[in-house]
Amino acid sequence: MSNKGAFYIFLSGTLASLAIFLFLTWDTHRQVGALTNADKLSEQVVAGKHVWEKKNCNNCHTILGFGVYYAPDLTKVYDRIGPDAIKTAVMEPEVVYADSIRKMPNLGVTEQEADDLVTFFEWVSNIDNNDWPPQDRSMETAAQRRLSASGVSPGAAAFKEQCMACHSIGGAGGSNGPALDDIGSKYDAAAIARYVRDPKAVDPASRMPAQGSISDDDLQAISDFLSKQRGEN
Amino acid sequence: MGPRDPELVPYESQRVAYWYFAVALALFMLQLLVGLWLAISYAFTIPQEIVDALPFGMTRAMHTNLLVLWMLLGFMGGTYYLVPEEAQREIYSVKLAYLQLIAFVATGVAALVGFTFGWTQGKPLLEIPTPLDFIVVVGALMFLFNVAMTVIKGKKTAILGMLLGGLTFLALLYLFGMPFYRNLTIDWFYWWWVVHLWVEGAWELVTAAILAFVLIKVTGVDRRVVEKYLYIETALFLFTGIAGTGHHYYWIGAPRAWLWIGGIFSALEVVPIIAMVIDTFLTQRRHGIAIKNKVVWTFAVGTAVGHLVGAGVWGFAHTLPQINYYTHGSQVTASHGHLAFFGAYALLNLTMFWYALPRLRGVSRFKTSGALWGFWIMNMSILGIGIAMGVAGVLQTYIERIMGQGFMNAQAQMQFWFKVTLFFGVILVIGAGLTMWKLLTQRQSEETAA
Repeated sequence: MSNKGAFYIFLSGTLASLAIFLFLTWDTHRQVGALTNADKLSEQVVAGKHVWEKKNCNNCHTILGFGVYYAPDLTKVYDRIGPDAIKTAVMEPEVVYADSIRKMPNLGVTEQEADDLVTFFEWVSNIDNNDWPPQDRSMETAAQRRLSASGVSPGAAAFKEQCMACHSIGGAGGSNGPALDDIGSKYDAAAIARYVRDPKAVDPASRMPAQGSISDDDLQAISDFLSKQRGEN
Repeated sequence: MGPRDPELVPYESQRVAYWYFAVALALFMLQLLVGLWLAISYAFTIPQEIVDALPFGMTRAMHTNLLVLWMLLGFMGGTYYLVPEEAQREIYSVKLAYLQLIAFVATGVAALVGFTFGWTQGKPLLEIPTPLDFIVVVGALMFLFNVAMTVIKGKKTAILGMLLGGLTFLALLYLFGMPFYRNLTIDWFYWWWVVHLWVEGAWELVTAAILAFVLIKVTGVDRRVVEKYLYIETALFLFTGIAGTGHHYYWIGAPRAWLWIGGIFSALEVVPIIAMVIDTFLTQRRHGIAIKNKVVWTFAVGTAVGHLVGAGVWGFAHTLPQINYYTHGSQVTASHGHLAFFGAYALLNLTMFWYALPRLRGVSRFKTSGALWGFWIMNMSILGIGIAMGVAGVLQTYIERIMGQGFMNAQAQMQFWFKVTLFFGVILVIGAGLTMWKLLTQRQSEETAA
């Protein structure tokens, strides 16, 4: 082969790949609005993205799997831990992660900034990204399996929704708070309900934030469910 | 740097490269030292007071920005060194070349100091704030203008065409990382235009051109043969690499077609790398006896092999969507990043440094043992880092993504491997320190030719 022939191979190969790439780029722009719910991309979501960048969050955390692997992925954090826990974590990390082997810096996030971040995370959690990450999907299925086996579905469902971001049962769930496999041998339902509403009133050393937003029905279901967790299963 | 020996360095303006290389080496060392702190942060619990004062994210931004800066300065120095010999004339403007170096170093210092005050754009690898971006763009334009004018006024070769094409492509892509994108998906989409199309596109062109120059010099292979392989290999690199960008678009909210295109093209990305390694070994077999500079040749072969292991094998291992679904955004990616950047681009820069720096210092023959020790210590330790991070990544994939346990539960199980990473990191600093010291102090001796 002559050098000129080699040059034309170089040129045609590059242009072919570029053509495919640019066509799919065009297609991405065409579909991205629907895939990311661009109609819900409000000014507050954008404000939240600015906070995300200003506080350099992405140099410890990943989002959509990109960034740094020092701290958890936040693509589905809104589904995983919900707005209250997000706010507590970003505003008082030294309290939330006091027992963690890895700490989060207190970056002086204001109430307004925390609200903006929450809105940003809510929008991100609804991006149609082929069900990534698997842990947030499999955490749900593992928890469902484990919890449906205990046969108290209303309480189990509410527990999953409200508590599992921080607490675990049977290894499924978060690790910011203690595992609750054996909580029923220590407290009855009423004590648990009182504790959840105002942890510091029961135990002044508690670091759990007061849970004001759980409805009374849910709280009762959760307390009943937890009081039956006695570690035997 | 002493007086120029025209036998070794035919053009006066090639001496600009010395300062680019010296600064690049200093930044390389700084990058490694910051890296040690990052490894400590992974391996041990850092108290809240220190975390508040010196957040991990800030030092991590320094680690990656130092990487980009030293490698780009290395490429630019390499360009200034080889362009006069290829074009057979002095660089268009030496003053502009120095001015441009000052602009880049000033930007780098401002960026690093800025990070400590929280002055950041908050996008990994592209953190430097917009005002500094503009200085980078001006610096890049000065550089491209200077190189282009030299080439236009001088002899035109395939190597120069490839080099100038790669550098222009590199500078253009940087622009896509500058705007603020409202939509996070679009933001990451174009982030990869910079990062992926740099390392699997533009930088490959620059690498191919620099390697071709060095191979012609140290093996004496006919220029036409080298140029033909240059075209074919870069054709394969770009054919697979450009559409292969799709392997970053699986989980970001982009259309599903990317899973097919990204998977197929990026799986093929290993082909040109294998071709490059085979080509290198065939060259050695044909010209083994004629190779005069053992150190440069060792680093050049190291680049080819490092490219294959770090970018090729480690990249292929998790590029298919079926696997990437579980490994994406884990320590597996960190392992791949370290092996690929070191194997492909740190070694490429060091190959050029070992070719040019002794010559610029007027040394034609020097003892090889220190240089070779440096080579092996660095390569074994980076392999150790890659394997330790890789094991941590597999653990993370299993515990977090498959068993569905919490992030920190997985990290607790991985801490041992972060300690192993730290251990190899210390060895890497020793190897790099030895290499730097030898590069900048090598004296004339009768053992080998430069």
